[in-house]
Amino acid sequence: MRLKKKIQYIFYPSIISLLILGYSYEVAAADKRNADTTPLSTQKQALQFLEIQTNLEASKFWPNVNPVTFLQNLKKNIEYPLSMHEGRSTNFCGYAALSYHPLHDDPLSYLTFMLKLYKEGKAMYGKEYFEPSKAVKLAAGTLTFKGELDVRPADQLWFLALADHFKGYLNTFNRHYNIGDENKFWPSVNFAKYNRMVRNLFNYKVTSVGADLIRPGIGDTFTYLSEGLQKGTVTVYLSNPQLYKKNHSGLKLSIPTHYIILTDIHKADDAIAITYWDYAGKTRQLFPESFLKKIIFGVSIASKRTTNAK
Amino acid sequence: MQNKTATILCLLSTLVILSSCATKKMFSSKYYFENEKTLIDIEQSYKKLYSQKPFSVGFTDKSFHYISLEIITDTIKYIYEFEITEPRLQDTLYKYRLPIPDIIELVKKMQLIQCIWINKLDYYDNNQKRSLIFMSMRKAVFHLPFTTEKYYILTFYPQPQYYDSEGNLLSGLRRRKIRKIKGDTFYRINDKVAYTVSDKFR
Repeated sequence: MRLKKKIQYIFYPSIISLLILGYSYEVAAADKRNADTTPLSTQKQALQFLEIQTNLEASKFWPNVNPVTFLQNLKKNIEYPLSMHEGRSTNFCGYAALSYHPLHDDPLSYLTFMLKLYKEGKAMYGKEYFEPSKAVKLAAGTLTFKGELDVRPADQLWFLALADHFKGYLNTFNRHYNIGDENKFWPSVNFAKYNRMVRNLFNYKVTSVGADLIRPGIGDTFTYLSEGLQKGTVTVYLSNPQLYKKNHSGLKLSIPTHYIILTDIHKADDAIAITYWDYAGKTRQLFPESFLKKIIFGVSIASKRTTNAK
Repeated sequence: MQNKTATILCLLSTLVILSSCATKKMFSSKYYFENEKTLIDIEQSYKKLYSQKPFSVGFTDKSFHYISLEIITDTIKYIYEFEITEPRLQDTLYKYRLPIPDIIELVKKMQLIQCIWINKLDYYDNNQKRSLIFMSMRKAVFHLPFTTEKYYILTFYPQPQYYDSEGNLLSGLRRRKIRKIKGDTFYRINDKVAYTVSDKFR
């Protein structure tokens, strides 16, 4: 009997160690599987999930976000993902552009995160843990004079939470939110930060060319962008003033300030017709190839990881 | 020699300051009243044409020969650029069933008073969707190099607006908050028209 107990004492730690090892291996394998697979869900799944969110109570963390308008906004985003608007005169365009990914490919994860963040004031999204600052929590729902964004409290919460969490070198001198900072450098998104956000939040394989001040060395812009569309979602980082203003003044500074999602590209006579999404809708515009080359500073291609997809 | 350079620099700086002040004064309400008839005419024609088919139009060059035409449909916005005289402009207007003579007339009126952009802008007042007509003019014909281009902006409202005692446009009678449009404060010209000087033309 004593001998049996002795054997148990000797072997128990080994068994426990083996179990822990086995569990760790299992977790690591699961992590590896997850790392190789971009989470996906459908609009239908997201809407079904939203339907059961009845009796959402006002959040003590987000005092200016009404639960009813919050849910209405989320529903609108799922039903009409292209309707999301960065807001007039804000610097939220990077966050609006990256929202294209979850709203089209994985709306369920987006909803789960938004509801958890609303109810608990903190939540995980992909590899990122969000616990927005008090200033941001107070500001969400109060932004005005931004056009459509005025009446979209969930989008205000989403943009503010993202800007509060992710920092790049453009945010060095303005890291903490104060009223009105949405129009300043506080939410600015440099190209590397944009790519990091897409990678860490949604687990895409992101391939990018270009930089904040140097144009990418793409030989044939049309071919590069067309092939990019075959691979995944293409974000183009470009000089917005040049997109609209051609020659009002002699001096034209060419600095990238805007993110758009490219949805189509084709040749039309001697020009290139691109269709892109920004500001709550799609736009189709014709450019000479040389001009398009001149305004593009970065191209980011997000393709789905499908190694272990079911 | 040093004194001479300093004097020249002083004179140049004064000139820059004076010219910016002068243009601001010139392009305030005085500009509006001098061109009131044409401005109202443009606003009315645009509003009428917009109700037939939503669009925006503006000039893209300093010599006012090229226009950017934005046709807004339910699903997509098409942006075209034309020289005013080229046949493609009329073909495109025809394609979208826009009245060709009326649009051409509108563009010519804009050219006459150097109006570079007109569009309809939605905004929210106490969660109510409203709209205004947004027009911009180049503020100075002569633009100093290395300075930001300024634009004279006019906003036309369908209903009388609230202003404070200093003429700042307010967001509503109850809230008494200064309204910002595209980040700019606007000032009273009359009950339904406000102006500002901005570095953004649209």
